[in-house]
Amino acid sequence: MSESFIDVAAPEVQAPHPDEQFDQRRRPSIWSALRHGKGLVGVILVGAVVALGLLAPLLAPHAPTEQIAGANLVGPSGAHWFGTDEVNRDIFSRTLYGIRTDLIVVFLAVPIGASIGILVGLVSSWWSFTDVIAQRVFDLVLAFPTLILAIALTAFVGPGLRTVFFVIIAVELPVFGRLTRTSVRTVREMPYVEAAHVVGAGSLWQLRRHVLPNSMEPLLVQLAVSMSVAVFIEGAMSFLGLGVRPPEPSLGSLIRDGVRNMYDAPFFAVGPLAVVVVLVLGLLLVSQALAEARRA
Amino acid sequence: MGAYLVRRVPSALVVLVIASFAIFAMVRLVPGDPVATLAGPDATPEARAAIEADLGLDQPLVSQYVTWLGQLAHLDLGTSYRIGGQVSDLVADGAVNTIVLTVAALVLAVAVALVSSVLAVVLDKSWVNAALSFGNTLAIALPTFVTGLVLILLFAVVFPVLPAGGTPPDGFIARPDIAVQYLLLPAVCLALGAGAALTRFLTEALRTEMRQPYVTTARALGISRRRIVLTQALRNALPSTVTVLGIQFGTLLGGAVLVEAIFTWPGLGGLIEDAISGRDYPLVQVLLLLSVAVFVVVQLLTDIVHAWLDPRVRIAGGGTA
Amino acid sequence: MRRDHRSPIVRSLALAVAGALAASVLTACSSAVGEADNGGSSSAPADGGVLKIGSTSDIVPATIFTNSSDSTNTLIGAVYESLVDYPLDSLEPQPRLATSWQLADDGRSLTLQLRDDVTFHSGREFTSKDVEFSIKTWADPVWTVQLQRTAAAVTGFDTSDPHAITLEFAHPLSNVFDLLDMLPIIDSESIGELQEGKAYVGTGPFVFESWTPSSQLVFSRNDDYWGEQPHLDGIEVDIVADPQAQVSQLRSGQLDLVTGASYRDLETLSNDGKFDVTGFEGAAQQIYVGADLANPQLDDVELRKAIAYAVDRERIVDEVFRGNAEAINLPWPDYSPAYDAAANETYAYDPAKAKEIVAGLGDQPVLPLAYPAGNANYESVAQIVQANLEAAGLETELQPTEYSQFIKQLIGGTFGGLWILQHAYAHYTPSTLAVSAYPFNADKNASHFESAEYKKHAEAAWTAKSGTAPEAIESYQALNKDLLDNLFLIELALLHFQVASAPDVQDFTMSKRGELDFRSTYLAD
Repeated sequence: MSESFIDVAAPEVQAPHPDEQFDQRRRPSIWSALRHGKGLVGVILVGAVVALGLLAPLLAPHAPTEQIAGANLVGPSGAHWFGTDEVNRDIFSRTLYGIRTDLIVVFLAVPIGASIGILVGLVSSWWSFTDVIAQRVFDLVLAFPTLILAIALTAFVGPGLRTVFFVIIAVELPVFGRLTRTSVRTVREMPYVEAAHVVGAGSLWQLRRHVLPNSMEPLLVQLAVSMSVAVFIEGAMSFLGLGVRPPEPSLGSLIRDGVRNMYDAPFFAVGPLAVVVVLVLGLLLVSQALAEARRA
Repeated sequence: MGAYLVRRVPSALVVLVIASFAIFAMVRLVPGDPVATLAGPDATPEARAAIEADLGLDQPLVSQYVTWLGQLAHLDLGTSYRIGGQVSDLVADGAVNTIVLTVAALVLAVAVALVSSVLAVVLDKSWVNAALSFGNTLAIALPTFVTGLVLILLFAVVFPVLPAGGTPPDGFIARPDIAVQYLLLPAVCLALGAGAALTRFLTEALRTEMRQPYVTTARALGISRRRIVLTQALRNALPSTVTVLGIQFGTLLGGAVLVEAIFTWPGLGGLIEDAISGRDYPLVQVLLLLSVAVFVVVQLLTDIVHAWLDPRVRIAGGGTA
Repeated sequence: MRRDHRSPIVRSLALAVAGALAASVLTACSSAVGEADNGGSSSAPADGGVLKIGSTSDIVPATIFTNSSDSTNTLIGAVYESLVDYPLDSLEPQPRLATSWQLADDGRSLTLQLRDDVTFHSGREFTSKDVEFSIKTWADPVWTVQLQRTAAAVTGFDTSDPHAITLEFAHPLSNVFDLLDMLPIIDSESIGELQEGKAYVGTGPFVFESWTPSSQLVFSRNDDYWGEQPHLDGIEVDIVADPQAQVSQLRSGQLDLVTGASYRDLETLSNDGKFDVTGFEGAAQQIYVGADLANPQLDDVELRKAIAYAVDRERIVDEVFRGNAEAINLPWPDYSPAYDAAANETYAYDPAKAKEIVAGLGDQPVLPLAYPAGNANYESVAQIVQANLEAAGLETELQPTEYSQFIKQLIGGTFGGLWILQHAYAHYTPSTLAVSAYPFNADKNASHFESAEYKKHAEAAWTAKSGTAPEAIESYQALNKDLLDNLFLIELALLHFQVASAPDVQDFTMSKRGELDFRSTYLAD
């Protein structure tokens, strides 16, 4: 499921119809979709999680790796809101700091993967031979299910946040590469761009003037989708033991630890779980709002 | 149609050949080796040398690759280092379980998508849409590992009515009533995301269809919404849905890795994890190649079905979604 | 796709709901859970029934003799028998396939009388030739058995009497009974199939029926068993890799006995009273922190001492192993001839002292601390060790390492820092540990520890006439001193095996080899 909607999202944000492209300036920016309804809820949810993560040092009663003598897997109490884990750490504090790990993944790994993908997509689609090569490479990468890719990559570099980064970049690169390529090709086939080419406008001009602005919206929608997928990938990888290294917390590793203690400490995973669901839900709502605004 | 196939098949083959080379190289570049894993920490150097020779790993890499390709050409997948059996048997056993699970999930997902999207469009009530949209978003936002464990806890531990995991002891055929119970939880868990995605897509496609002029005409002629949806709109929305379905099948196979781990379902996911961690080269190579092949074939089939349902694609040529 | 024109929408919705409900209806007719729970017949001890065991990892045919997994142990224990058996809590060999034995005065030969009423599952009679074949198989390095060196030191076989054998040794072998306890008597005719995982032919109480890789092993009762007939009709081993899934399946009645539950789950199961948790003291493993002396920092024995003082072993025993372990400095269990209660307290938890030593050593760079990834126990122990060392002023970086690479680093001695792992074989004759377990190997070990003294003492212990001879005891004391003074391995805890079972599973035990013994097991109601 983690990757199931990377692809499903694709048909939605697929090649924009040329006739829609022109009136971009006539309608309000899709950003306005985030000021009401679904979009606003999404922004609030994501914003709340981001705030918790950023304020972790102020809000957390303990350091995320501090082992508190005698507090072995105790239940929620005034002293430990979410209880403590199997090596006596405060789960509430770890959850707050764990958010930071996921924020790094969401707001750093995904944009990096996206940028590389966009760059590769732009450059390769300009010539037909690089286009063919890039398409085949994208096919190859996308042919591996994300988690199998993750298992294989971990065999190379060992578990860790770095591996999560690699996997997310590897997964997002072809997604964004494809999307950019589709936009570039659509735009290039438009009569006025062809005309500009005839009168001698350079490739760079075409890129800056037409391709990039017209690709922006589908890319933005995909970015939001990819960000929510990134939370899944982090979680699934940590669940399989391929994620962030102990003692550092991440939401995924906290859920895995909680699941390990499911019978003895059912409270353990509840907090991190809620945060993951809120974060994914928020990002998803944002992406849906953006997509709907684009189509409207 | 024939010409379309001629265009598509070679490029699929090229992907496979490149993949075989990439996989072979990648598998050998991974640190750690099968001999160390097999022999264990206390083995003597001569023991390790004996195992290495036994596995043919003392041969040059190029000759190992050529040998492997030769074997593949004869449909001989080789022998597993670690498990010891024929790779083909191991893969076949695992594949049966994975495919049964994936197909069950796909059927569930399609059923849910058809029922709920048709309901949503036919009823066209705001509360139905809101409920559907909420359920949908939630189904997508709940990670597999969460739903899986909640399902186990609820239906196998607190109310022990369904098995917590594993495959039916008598196989899938002999006792279908028992098999269904073993399948239910993992299939639901796997189907949730795909079902939600399909529902979202199909609802959207149906709504778009319902805005078409012919619908207005039909409505003016007094034909019910339900009738239009079931007879016309659904058929028109089908080609693009099949494409999405194809992609979903591939991703479901991928998602099965995690679901199999949660429900201890002995499928390809566990096999590939074991094979990679044991550096079981013949098994890893075949499994990775297989996952590429499945993707390529599903993509090809999807394109073909799409082309068959939508003649414009056949003529214009063109790629996938 | 459904094109249902007749029924109103509501009814088609009902249809869909009916589909979802189908399962619950089915549950009412015949439940998979109910059928899985096939308890035995009415009264105890009853005959019949199949015992379903959950095991964590599958067998690996190429390393079937290395006790490498719980399912391998179950297979060996069910299908095969050895010449002698050690009781759990002593090193006094008891008869099994051998009825009596005489060790020569010079310790260089051993004559064993064999049972004459034993046949292999293939119907062939068990003779002295089979003993020779089995020992020679173990001496072949391809099988990578722990006692390969010991098996190879058996150089002469007199098999003139089919029901007696005389073994000759290259030198006195203090651990020869360890070999005879661990060595399963295997059938020479089916060795090829054994290698491929297709057949396991022994003389034991259960017959190997089938193996489905990464899924299941099936055994049936050996109706021609020479001993008392087992009560069980058969045994089924299901490979359930996830410890928690094992517990779930035990709770839901799909499994009768699980070998891989976590210590904490075992504690919960035993507390809630619905399941039996059985511990076996005697078959044990030790968890330790290894130090790579190739790292100049760790080459300083003072730092290793600081680590030994810094680690809170009691906390690890209580919190990770839930009290089912003992804090140790030396690997031996209390019945071992090498056991020394006082020496075992040498490095009692003393964080102040550890801190003082580290402070005296000046600035210490960050040390890598590796452990096998994906194992909850190792992960917890590593994090506690890390916190303990940090309190002593020593920074470490945790390196969860995939098992395959971990073993590679262990063999190659390339850790470059500290590592955490378990070892076994300290519950046998002490010389077995010193000459066969890799971390302790005097010739070459992962710690890069070299010492002529240690090597001499290990060799002396091995070539003593018996494991309890005075000269052997003397070399154990020397070995203990070597281990404590050099601390290339810092022992943490001695762990006991535990299994959880449904209450209807009665009368099973475990051998010192860690193999469950189901000869007199039955399923009560």
